Amino acid sequence: MDFALSLDQQLLRGAARAFLDEHVTPAVVRALWDDPRGERDDLWKDMARLGWLGLTLPEAHGGSALGMVETAVVLEEMGRVACSGPYLETIVLARALETAGTPAQKARWLPAIAGGAARATVAFLDGELDWRPEAVLTRAEPGSDGIRLTGVKQWVSWAHVADVLLVPAREPEGLSLFLIEAGAQGLDISPVPAMDPGMRWATVRLNGVRTSADGRVGAPGAAAALLEDLLRWGAVGATAGMLGAARRCLELSVEYAKVREQFGQPIGSFQAIRHRCAEMLLEVENAHSATYYAAWAQDADAEDRALAASVAKAYVSEAARKVCGDAIQVHGGIGFTWEYDLHLYFKRAKALETTWGDADHHRELIVRQVAG
Amino acid sequence: MDLRYSPEDLLFRDATRRWLEANVPAEEPSALEERRAWHRRLYEAGYVGMGWPVEYGGRGATPLQQAIAADEMARAGAPAPINPLGIAIVGPTIIVHGTDAQKARYLRKILTAEELWCQLYSEPNAGSDLASLRTRAEDRGDRFVVNGQKIWTSGGLIADWGLLLARTDTAVAKHKGVSCFLISMRQPGVEVRPLRQITGSAHFSEVFMSDACVEKADLVGRLGQGWEIAQTTLSYERGGSSLARVTRYAAAFHQLIRAVRTLRRGGRPLLEDPAVRAKLGRIYAELEVQRYAALRVLSALEKGESPGAAASITKLSYSEFEKRYHELVQEILGPWGQDMSEAASEVDTSSGEPGTWATAYLWSRAGTIYSGSSEIQKNIIGERVLGLPKEMRADRARA
Repeated sequence: MDFALSLDQQLLRGAARAFLDEHVTPAVVRALWDDPRGERDDLWKDMARLGWLGLTLPEAHGGSALGMVETAVVLEEMGRVACSGPYLETIVLARALETAGTPAQKARWLPAIAGGAARATVAFLDGELDWRPEAVLTRAEPGSDGIRLTGVKQWVSWAHVADVLLVPAREPEGLSLFLIEAGAQGLDISPVPAMDPGMRWATVRLNGVRTSADGRVGAPGAAAALLEDLLRWGAVGATAGMLGAARRCLELSVEYAKVREQFGQPIGSFQAIRHRCAEMLLEVENAHSATYYAAWAQDADAEDRALAASVAKAYVSEAARKVCGDAIQVHGGIGFTWEYDLHLYFKRAKALETTWGDADHHRELIVRQVAG
Repeated sequence: MDLRYSPEDLLFRDATRRWLEANVPAEEPSALEERRAWHRRLYEAGYVGMGWPVEYGGRGATPLQQAIAADEMARAGAPAPINPLGIAIVGPTIIVHGTDAQKARYLRKILTAEELWCQLYSEPNAGSDLASLRTRAEDRGDRFVVNGQKIWTSGGLIADWGLLLARTDTAVAKHKGVSCFLISMRQPGVEVRPLRQITGSAHFSEVFMSDACVEKADLVGRLGQGWEIAQTTLSYERGGSSLARVTRYAAAFHQLIRAVRTLRRGGRPLLEDPAVRAKLGRIYAELEVQRYAALRVLSALEKGESPGAAASITKLSYSEFEKRYHELVQEILGPWGQDMSEAASEVDTSSGEPGTWATAYLWSRAGTIYSGSSEIQKNIIGERVLGLPKEMRADRARA
């Protein structure tokens, strides 16, 4: 029984924090808000060089064959600085290929992903904001020249920079997953401006988009279980990001409460502030336990891995929102300014909350597992 | 990270489970002597004072093994040992601060429950501000004479002995004038009255001491060291109840599921109502987070790390969760949540004793008050974990 990170995992965290603190400062994050891409190629290449993009990939494909715990460590650190870019999306697509991809698909994409030459995203959410695999409405129909996809995917993150998109669609055999490459004919990506200026969202319209000959991941109609697995990975990854944002907000609040004086004393000496900070710490520590238990459960293929992922996403979605919001309250007026950095994390936590199934969705999954 | 149990821990769990299957009495023991007999069997099998050092009659068990044993007892619905305060607090206090004579006189009888113990700390005017306690112990040369009143004494009516905090010096700062004693509850100067709490039963008592006697040899530590002794985290059983607590939450949850399958609203079972399902999901998510957090604490204890002030996070977390849990249960069950009829009394209330959902709801108000209220825990977390400045306090100037 050992809940602590291993020495290697701690070193990974240290390296990630050192890199991100130096290269993804609030000034860098803010500069990207006005950038049409919203992320930087040199940073992406650095992440590849640091081994983050191939973290979970087999060594044969340029990776280091690690797992969700290590991915969570990196994502927590990214959340801590509100780092932008399709890191989690790319990792999830790589997992899909590694699990069910053909040798050709793997050879085409995995080394490119590990090396930082390719970005990816996933387009899971259809018209009705329902994350369940059975709710996918997009259709895949055979044509004379290959399979064609028709449908509308909503709230797709980083589609405009992705070299490849993973798209679930329904074909006569059932639910399948397809790869759609950037620039495919009939692929329409319309940006959706949103609350977190460090995120990029799009509505993706598939107007009879033709997949390549080798465009299906896995057997026809057999994707539901894989999609659920990918959603679990994404959920745990997003949870780690929210945890990072929340812990940063707690740290900023405690530092501020020690130095900000009102009524002739530091505001942290008032129980009203101190108790709020204590509640924030409680939420952050519980969020840590939930995140890393869930990450470990995925890696260990534990019996309760699905339950743990849903528990973590349901719990941390609310906990992080509360902690980031409380941070604004502890700071008072300054916390509400554009100039102060708290809103970077407040907005990032909120953005991640809606991804990979929100808390309501995961609570329903929990009840289905424990009560039917 | 590796959250699997080791082969040794799994063997231990298995052995404990088999012992409990063979030994848990079919009928819950009610009379004191029956409960003492059950305690004695637990003791002889090595499940009492597991964390005490071997030289004092314990088995020096690891925190995880203690947690596993308690967890298995909760799972089996086994009656609890009868001398919980003696084993968790008094014994460890004597082991760390007591004289050889005190160790020889008291420890074994605590383990065997031959002598039952209570804790005499809180007073009507010394709750969260415990150091302001007023019960006096005067040195009369051959003995100490005690006068004062204690309150919220668990098990006071059956206790033979009490671990007492009393003021021995009024001329020094309040924390420095308190001493720690072992006092016989079986003497004319000690009167115990049951204190009925909001559930209707009397789990606690009030203790009145009028010229009660304490032998000189029964001072623990030095005169004036009482506050320090009380503040030290002494318990060898720490973390020991963490898994058992979650197991009881889960047992109650499954009883709740049975209830919502049966109760109906709008032509369908409550279980099919999306609003009910959302609440069930919320409860279960939090319950599991409590379990993960318990494993995290146990893993740190296994490595010999002391949680120190961080133990306040655990206590704050589970006690506040218990309130939310039972508030949601009451919302889900509606009027049936109040049911206190015989038919409803099969619930494991997560208070450690069977009862109804109504009883459990009432008990859930206790956890955020006892052993340091949530407000006190937040002060400790704020000051000692987060390093926030201490508040200005009227009594600090004198301290």
